[in-house]
Amino acid sequence: MSEHGSTPRYGFLIDASLCIDCRTCMVSCSVENKVPMDNTRIWIEETGVTGTFPNLERYTVPYHCMHCKDPSCVSACTVAALTRNEEGVVVYDPDVCIGCRYCMYACPFEVPNYEYDERFPEVIKCDMCYDRLQEGQQPACAQTCPTGAIKFGNYEDMLALAHKMIKDNPGKYIDHVYGEHENGGTATLYISPVPFEELGFPPAASISPAVSNRLVTEGTPTVAGAAAVGLTGIYLTIKHAKEEAEEERQAEAAEKAEAAMEEK
Amino acid sequence: MSKKISRRDFLKIGGATATALAVGSMLSPKVAQAAFDAGTLNAAGDGFVHSMCEMCVWRCGLIAKVREGRVVKLEGNPEHPHSRGRLCVRGQSGLMNTYDPDRVLTPLIRVGQRGEGKFRKASWDEALDLVANKMLEIKNNYGPEAMVFSSTHNLSQPLFENLLYGFGSPNYGTQRSLCFNAMIVANQMTYGMEEPARIYNDKLEYIILTGRNLMEAISTSETGELSQAIERGVKVIYLDPRFTKTAAKASEWLPIKPGTDLAFHLALLNVIVGEKLYNEKFVKKYTVGFDELAKSVADYTPEWAAELTDIPAEQIRRIAHEFAAAAPNALAHNGWRTSNFVNSFQTQRAITILNALVGNWNVTLEGAAGEGSGALGVPPQPPFPRVSALRLDGVPWKYPIVPFKLGVFQELRDNIVSGDPYEPHGWFISRQNPIMSIPDRAKTIKAFEKMDLIVTVDIFLNDTAWFSDVVLPEASYLERYDPLNIVGDKAFLRQPVIEPQGEAKSALWIYKELGTRLGLGDFFQYEDEEDFLRQQLAPLGVSLDAVKAQGYAVLPESEEKDPFEWNTPSGKIELFSETLANTGFDGCPVWQAPPEPPQDQFYLLTGKVAQATQFGTQNNQLLHKYSDEPRLWMNEDVAEERGLADGDWVKVTSAVGVVNIRLNATPGIRPDCVYLTPGYGHLTKGLTTAYGLGASDSVLHVTYTDPASGSQALSQTFVAVERA
Repeated sequence: MSEHGSTPRYGFLIDASLCIDCRTCMVSCSVENKVPMDNTRIWIEETGVTGTFPNLERYTVPYHCMHCKDPSCVSACTVAALTRNEEGVVVYDPDVCIGCRYCMYACPFEVPNYEYDERFPEVIKCDMCYDRLQEGQQPACAQTCPTGAIKFGNYEDMLALAHKMIKDNPGKYIDHVYGEHENGGTATLYISPVPFEELGFPPAASISPAVSNRLVTEGTPTVAGAAAVGLTGIYLTIKHAKEEAEEERQAEAAEKAEAAMEEK
Repeated sequence: MSKKISRRDFLKIGGATATALAVGSMLSPKVAQAAFDAGTLNAAGDGFVHSMCEMCVWRCGLIAKVREGRVVKLEGNPEHPHSRGRLCVRGQSGLMNTYDPDRVLTPLIRVGQRGEGKFRKASWDEALDLVANKMLEIKNNYGPEAMVFSSTHNLSQPLFENLLYGFGSPNYGTQRSLCFNAMIVANQMTYGMEEPARIYNDKLEYIILTGRNLMEAISTSETGELSQAIERGVKVIYLDPRFTKTAAKASEWLPIKPGTDLAFHLALLNVIVGEKLYNEKFVKKYTVGFDELAKSVADYTPEWAAELTDIPAEQIRRIAHEFAAAAPNALAHNGWRTSNFVNSFQTQRAITILNALVGNWNVTLEGAAGEGSGALGVPPQPPFPRVSALRLDGVPWKYPIVPFKLGVFQELRDNIVSGDPYEPHGWFISRQNPIMSIPDRAKTIKAFEKMDLIVTVDIFLNDTAWFSDVVLPEASYLERYDPLNIVGDKAFLRQPVIEPQGEAKSALWIYKELGTRLGLGDFFQYEDEEDFLRQQLAPLGVSLDAVKAQGYAVLPESEEKDPFEWNTPSGKIELFSETLANTGFDGCPVWQAPPEPPQDQFYLLTGKVAQATQFGTQNNQLLHKYSDEPRLWMNEDVAEERGLADGDWVKVTSAVGVVNIRLNATPGIRPDCVYLTPGYGHLTKGLTTAYGLGASDSVLHVTYTDPASGSQALSQTFVAVERA
């Protein structure tokens, strides 16, 4: 697990001026991650057709998990099914998830989807195609994007490229890299010719709700005062659940290691 | 496309089929033996296999990820010039076509009435014997010309042609007259070639797209090149009556009146000639007919064109100035499906001439390497029998300048119905769906009803297979070999990524087996698919296994061709074409006024969406998942005037058909037009995902053929729209 707010290793840079709403990213993601046919990890946000004939405009952009530096979902998850790993990728472990859906309420970007119709439902959310990253491949959406609207690479390179694109093309983009500061900063960054509200993006605060969530889940006596005392019970319950999950995971890993040794 | 995939009224993905991709139990986990032998798959059936996409005709290179003998993901091959490491939305969904639960996996023989969809399973021997005996009976009774053959652009087409020309029939139906005849014939008349290659380099400054909706009619490489050009700040002028996704990216969207693209381009020529903005040196040295052209376009001023096109004269004049100033780093794009109005051929001529006048040749346009390179070997075969019968599609006796290879498919259908000049009796169809593709579907079904024998080769029970007597199941593009495909300096291979499912077979196998039964074995001198490929590779001295591992063979360097030689009668670029003048057509483009819709009716437009290829992909569940509901677009103000609201059901009536569909009220279309998402409205219940969705544009389309190029005028149909 990485420190709250630490710089992620990888980043997306998504450019609304290049997206053509072809949905290649969505199919590629669905196949790679075997996403159920009635659900999706990635979708399109758009302005709709604006203006009056014949002076019309339309902008679209793919939208998926922002991979926050200090993710609200992780702080809200009572069992550590959602974690932010060493590389800053917010990953999900369905075996641990208890289906409480706190993450869905916590996410200021309204990202997690849920399998309402399944007997053992899972949260559906982008994990940057973490398995592909391990194999040195790009995430499935970025790899195949026909226009290069989804770029992927080192986070700091992506952030620098975002500012360079804005600076080198005066008048083309609004002067705002969405995700640089939103919710305390995210690994998914956007540039756009139109304000992000018009694309339907939430006007996220620059401080992640995770900071206040932690008042509950981890307790900070110097700030919390009397209210924190009242929440101690909840805090302990959640802390216990998190620890249990961690123990379970470690036990499982040990079992696997043993099995591997026996095979040899 | 929202976060929730929840449009239950449109979405028809059932729970049982939703897991087709994720669950392996329904398929045998066999490892593709060929890939195994070539070392691209390990003993467990895991690995990466190089092959070629077939979700459209662009044939991008792909790399298939295989796990335990199942293909689990497709990626673009970075070494293929068409994919460059990327696949489009259709390419990404391709494995779902292969694993579609609706696949036909055994030969089928009809047992019910035609169109009832009742078939029984049969062995290959029984099905092929039946087809061969019937075909020979037709040949004996009525002559070989009584068999019609049709197939659409695919890699095994040369062997299909062996079947039809070996059989001795002149009747060959391709999709070309429904697509790009106008563009191809115009390029041949001007440059002596089918289609010059377009060059998008860093110097490119200016592009005029005449209805070329590259952001939705995607060719992965060219869509990427246009996107990069836009990113670099290249100015893009886009003509389309509809605000498409390309319009949204263009520098200027010109909602031109349908049928008047010719007037717009004639006015550009008028300004460029009149104000001497052309490249005088280039015109003198490399073209013929400038004086005739100058005379021909003298009256077509921007003011004249403004009246017709609804584009202001000053804008047309400015675009002419900008285009000429940017030349030779400017490109007037021909477009792809150019069959819109009977004047589309002259529109295409005007575009080719525009590029020539300003000297864009060899800068943004160049001669394209042909598909038929002599570098590859071919199995030996005897000459084809002489054919004396007339072609039913009117080439050349009614359409003197339409190349044999292109043909006039809609005329072929009309003459089957009329029985004039003679009656055909059988129709052999491979990888094509004429019931959905030829305009006026009711008439096409009439043509089918006249036949004694209809045979369809396909991977699905498509609409045409639904009406057939025998259906022969082809292996999908991920399950079979095809002949090599040359792109640039390489010959790319399509090879099986997985074993064919069920009894499905490659076209190379099917044509050979049928050909042998017809006594045409000499036209199919290969043992099997691999032997065919080995014969192709023989002159290159490279082994098939090496090509299987790498995905391509490198071709020897071909001789440098002079880029300033053209295969026209004059050897130059023909601004004035004597060939055209001598066959009764206009030697230089002149204005032809297209018909206009009567009061209260609309132009019916069609045009691609990114998530579909013609009529062949609507059943793909992955594409279906991410497709918009097919609707009829109408300008929102017009809808409001008529008391219609977004989502209302409307009845659309043309001179030949009626459909019901829901309305999309949008600001993004001219008030005098409606647009229908094509490819839906399938008749066949053999496509369980697609059946019942949307409406068919071919039900509404009226047949109009351009006498010069043989193009079907697909936007010349007018419709009335009322509440359903």
